[in-house]
Amino acid sequence: MDTKWNGTDRDPGENLEDYVTYQISGALDGGADAPGVIRVEPGKHPRLRAWTGLMALLLGFALAAGGLCSALGQWVMRGSGEAWELDWQETKAFQSTISGYVRDFLILGAGGTLEWYDTVLESDTVWGSDGTDTAASSDMAAEETGDTAPDAAYQADKNMLYGIRRNHRLRYTNTGDLLDDAADLPEGYNFLLIFKDGRARAWKDGTEIDLYGDGVYTEDSGWYLPGYENFTAGEGVEDVEVRLAVREVPILYLQGRYDSGYVSDSSPLYDLYQELREIRSVYLGTALAMAAGVALLVLARRLREDRKRAEAAVAAKTAYIWTELRFLAAAACLLGMMGTGRLWDYYHAVRYDLYRVGAGQWPDLVTAGLSYGIGMVLANLPAALALCLLLWLIRNDHRYNPREQRRGCLRSLNRVLRDRTLRLPVQKRLRRWALAPVVGMVLCTAAGFAVLLVCMSWYWDAYRTFVALTILGFVLVLIICALSARHQLALARDIGRLADRTAAIRSGDLDAASDLPRDGDLHQIAEDLDHIQAGLQQALADRTRSERMKVELVANVSHDLKTPLTSILSYAELLRQEPLEGAAADYARIIDQKAQRLKAMVQDVFEVSKAASNQLPVDLERLDLAKLLWQTLADMADPIEQSGLTLRTDLPEGEVPVVADGKRLYRVFQNLIQNALQYSLPGTRIYLTLKAEQGRAEASLRNTSRQELPAGVDFTARFVRGDASRTDGGSGLGLSIARSFTEACGGTLAVETVADLFTVRVSFPLAPER
Amino acid sequence: MNECILVVDDDAEIAGAIAITLEREGYRCLKAADGLEAVDLALTKPVDLILLDVMMPRLDGLSALLRIREKRNLPVIVLSAKSEDSDKILGLSMGADDYMTKPFNPQELTARVKSQLRRYTQLGDVHAQARQGQLVNGRLAYDPESRQLTADGEAVRLTATETKIVELLMRHPGRVFPAEEIYRRVWGEETAYACENTVMVHIRRIREKVELNPKEPDYIKVVWGIGYKMERHG
Repeated sequence: MDTKWNGTDRDPGENLEDYVTYQISGALDGGADAPGVIRVEPGKHPRLRAWTGLMALLLGFALAAGGLCSALGQWVMRGSGEAWELDWQETKAFQSTISGYVRDFLILGAGGTLEWYDTVLESDTVWGSDGTDTAASSDMAAEETGDTAPDAAYQADKNMLYGIRRNHRLRYTNTGDLLDDAADLPEGYNFLLIFKDGRARAWKDGTEIDLYGDGVYTEDSGWYLPGYENFTAGEGVEDVEVRLAVREVPILYLQGRYDSGYVSDSSPLYDLYQELREIRSVYLGTALAMAAGVALLVLARRLREDRKRAEAAVAAKTAYIWTELRFLAAAACLLGMMGTGRLWDYYHAVRYDLYRVGAGQWPDLVTAGLSYGIGMVLANLPAALALCLLLWLIRNDHRYNPREQRRGCLRSLNRVLRDRTLRLPVQKRLRRWALAPVVGMVLCTAAGFAVLLVCMSWYWDAYRTFVALTILGFVLVLIICALSARHQLALARDIGRLADRTAAIRSGDLDAASDLPRDGDLHQIAEDLDHIQAGLQQALADRTRSERMKVELVANVSHDLKTPLTSILSYAELLRQEPLEGAAADYARIIDQKAQRLKAMVQDVFEVSKAASNQLPVDLERLDLAKLLWQTLADMADPIEQSGLTLRTDLPEGEVPVVADGKRLYRVFQNLIQNALQYSLPGTRIYLTLKAEQGRAEASLRNTSRQELPAGVDFTARFVRGDASRTDGGSGLGLSIARSFTEACGGTLAVETVADLFTVRVSFPLAPER
Repeated sequence: MNECILVVDDDAEIAGAIAITLEREGYRCLKAADGLEAVDLALTKPVDLILLDVMMPRLDGLSALLRIREKRNLPVIVLSAKSEDSDKILGLSMGADDYMTKPFNPQELTARVKSQLRRYTQLGDVHAQARQGQLVNGRLAYDPESRQLTADGEAVRLTATETKIVELLMRHPGRVFPAEEIYRRVWGEETAYACENTVMVHIRRIREKVELNPKEPDYIKVVWGIGYKMERHG
C-alpha cells in the first residue's frame, strides 16, 4: 500500500483510529479554519478517505445515537435534577435522608419501636439500593431480639454524628462529644442540625439555614421534619432532643460484625454522595461520546463523495448474502429486544415520564405504544445499534447492487421458474396465465370443502372453520387474480408496443428500437421482429448502394464517352470546313450528324438512368401547367412550323396550378411534341389538350402514327420505338425520359394506342388554391 | 487581333482541335497537358485567356485555376465533361468566368472566347466603365437614356418592343415576370388571348441577338410554367 500521509508511510488500517482522532481534534480545536470546519485535502489517498468516511459514519452514528439513547435512559430511570447540584448537601436527596435520620432518632428518643424495614438505612429514598443493605436489615432484625443497643446500626457510620437526649439526659450517641454549637463541630464536619422543643434548626458552614420556608409543609418541601404549621411533632417528643452533624465529604465506614458473620458497610450518606458523583460522570461521559459522534458525523458528511466508494465496496461484498438472511437477522434483533426483562422497567419509567410530559393528555394506546417502543430501544441499546447497522446494510445493498445481482432464495426460485417458462412457446405461456385464476379458484374451493368435511367429521367448530377458510380462500383467489391482472396489463402494454413498432416499420421507420422487457411473454416475437427489421434495413441499404453504384457507373461511362466524342465532333466540324469534293463532303456530313446523335444519346442515357434510380434532383414549385404548355409551344414554334403538321391546341384560359419542376416538365412536353412531330403521318393534325377536373390536371397529346403501331409494346420503356430497325432519328429515349421526369415530379404518364392513333396522357394532381 | 489563348487539356487531340479553331479566328494559342504546366505557362507567358479542362493528371483544373487566380487576373473558361448543375456552380464559384460542357459546339466556344476577351481587353472591368444611370448585368449593359443595349460593349440592334422588354427585365434582374405583366407593361394593353405566345416569340428573338447559345441561354431565361426573368450575373 503506497498511501502516503503526513510524509510517512502508514497503513490506514492500523492508524485509522489515530487518523480519526486527529481529524476530530482538528475539528474540535478549529485549527486555522472556522470552528467545526474540517479541512479535507481533495483528491489524495482515495482509499483512506473512502474508508475513513464510512467508519466515521458508522462510529459517529453509534456514538451519537447510542449516547443520546443512554442519556435518555439515565434520565428516564434516574431523573436529572440533582445531577448538576455540585454541593451534595443542597440536594433534596440529602434533605430527605437527614429527615429520615431525624425521624428514626425521634422514634428512638421517644422510646418507640423502630421497625427495621422502615428506617432510613432501609428505605429507598436513596437511588438504586443494590442489596448490600440486606446486611442492615438483618442487623435490625438482630436489634429486635434485644441484645444490642437500639442505635447499634447507626453507630458505625461516622459520616453522621448524633446525640439523642431525653429529659436532658443523653440516651444514644455515636460520638463522645456533645454537639452543642455549630462552631463546636469536629474537624471535617460542616452541617449541624438540632431538634429541640418540637422544632429543628440547622447550620451549614456556621450559617443557619431556613428549614421550614413559609412554615407550611407541601410535597415539594425538602425537609420532612416536624415543626411546620401542618406537621407537628405530636405527643411524646416534647423532651426529646436530637443533635446530628454531617461530614462535609463522606468517607466509607466499615464495621466488623464478626459475631454475626459479616462486615457492615451501611452508610446512606456515603452512598448518596457517591451516587451523585457517579450520575454526573455518566452524564458527562455520555455528552462526550455524543460530541465525538457528532464530530464524526460531520467528518462523514464532508467525505460523503469518497464514502460512496467504500459503501459500494461493502455492497459488493454483502451482495452474496441472501436478502432473506439479512431480514431474518434484523427480525431476530427486534425479537431479542422485545424479549428482555429490563424492557418492562423502562416501559413503566417511560410511561410515567410520558404521563408527566404529556400531562396525561395522550390516548392510552399511543402512550403505551410510545413507551413500549422507546423502552425497547433504551433497554437494548447494543441490539438497537446492531439493528441500525443491519438496516443500513440492507439499504446499502439496495442502493449499490442492481436487482439482478442481489441474492435471495425467493429471487433465485423466481428466476429459475421464469427461465423455465421462458423456454415454452408463447401460446403455451399465455394459456397458463389465462387458466391460472380458474384453476386456482377451483383448487381453493376444493381444498376448502375437503378441510371443512374433515373438520365436520371430527366434530370441530365447523362454523368458525368455514368462515376462516372462506376468508383464506378469498384472499388466495384475490392474490391470484391480482397477479393475473398484473400480467394482463403487462401483456397489453407489450402488445401495444409491438403494434406501434410494426406500424413504424410499415411506415418505413426501420430504426425503431425494440423496448420490450427481456422476460416478457412477447420477447421472442419482438426479437424475431428485430431480425426482420435488420434484414429489411440491410436489403434497403444494399439496394440503395447498388442503385448509387449503377448511377455512378453510368456517369463514368458517359463521361468516358464524352471525351472521344468531343474529339470526333471537333474534327468533324473542322473537316466540314475543309474544301471537300463529292462523296467526301457527304461522308463528313454524315459523321457529323451521327456524332451529334451520339452526343444527345449520351446525355439522355445519363439522365434516364438517374431518373430510374430516383437520383434525379427535382426542384418542386407551384406553377401553371397551361402557361408551361403555351411557353413550350412558343419555344418550339420553329420545328412545328417546319414539320408541315398542324398542331391544334385546346388549353383552358385560366390557371391550372400543379406542383412540379418546371425545367423537367418542359423537357417532358418538349420530348412528347418532338416525338409527335417525328412520327406523325405527314399532313395530319396533332391535338394537344389540357383539362383540369376532379382534382387532377391532365394534358394529352394525340397524333396519327406514320407507321403501323405494334400491339403490346411499352413505348415508354428505354430504347423502344415504333420500328425495330432503328434507322430513324430518335435516340429511343424520348418517351422514357418523359415518363421518368413526370414521375420524378409526382405525376403519371400513360401511352395509349388505338389503331394508328397514338395518345400520351400526362396527369398531375392539382395544387390546392392559394 | 493577336491575343494569346492558353488551351489546357490532357487530351492532345481536343487541345489541337480547339487550337486550330481559335487560330482560324486569328488568335495565338499555347497548349498545356496538365494543371502544373498550365500554371507555369499562365504565369510566365503573356496569356490573355485560358481554356481549362477539369479532370487532368498531376494537377486538376480547378486547383490550377485557384493558383493562377492568386497571381493573375485574366478570363478563364472551364471546359468539362461534367454537365451537372452542381459541377457548373462549383466551377463558377472557384473563380471561372464561364463554364462549357464537353462536347462543345466550336462556334459557341469561339463566341464565348470573344465575349470574355472583349470584356477584359477592351472594356477592362465592366463595372468600372459603367456610366451613370447605366444598367449593367454581366456581359449586358443597358442605357435607358439612349435606349441602347450593349453586349460585351457591342451595340445590339433591337426593335422598339424588344427594347421595352429588355428595359423591363434589365431593371429587375432576378425577378420573374409573368407573360401577362410583360404584355401589360410593354404593350400597354390589357391582357390579350395568347399573350404568352406573343411574349415568348419576342423573348426568343431577343435571345438570338443577345445570348451566346440561344438554346441554352445564360441571361434571358424562361421560368417554365411561371414566366420570364433576367438571370442576375456578377
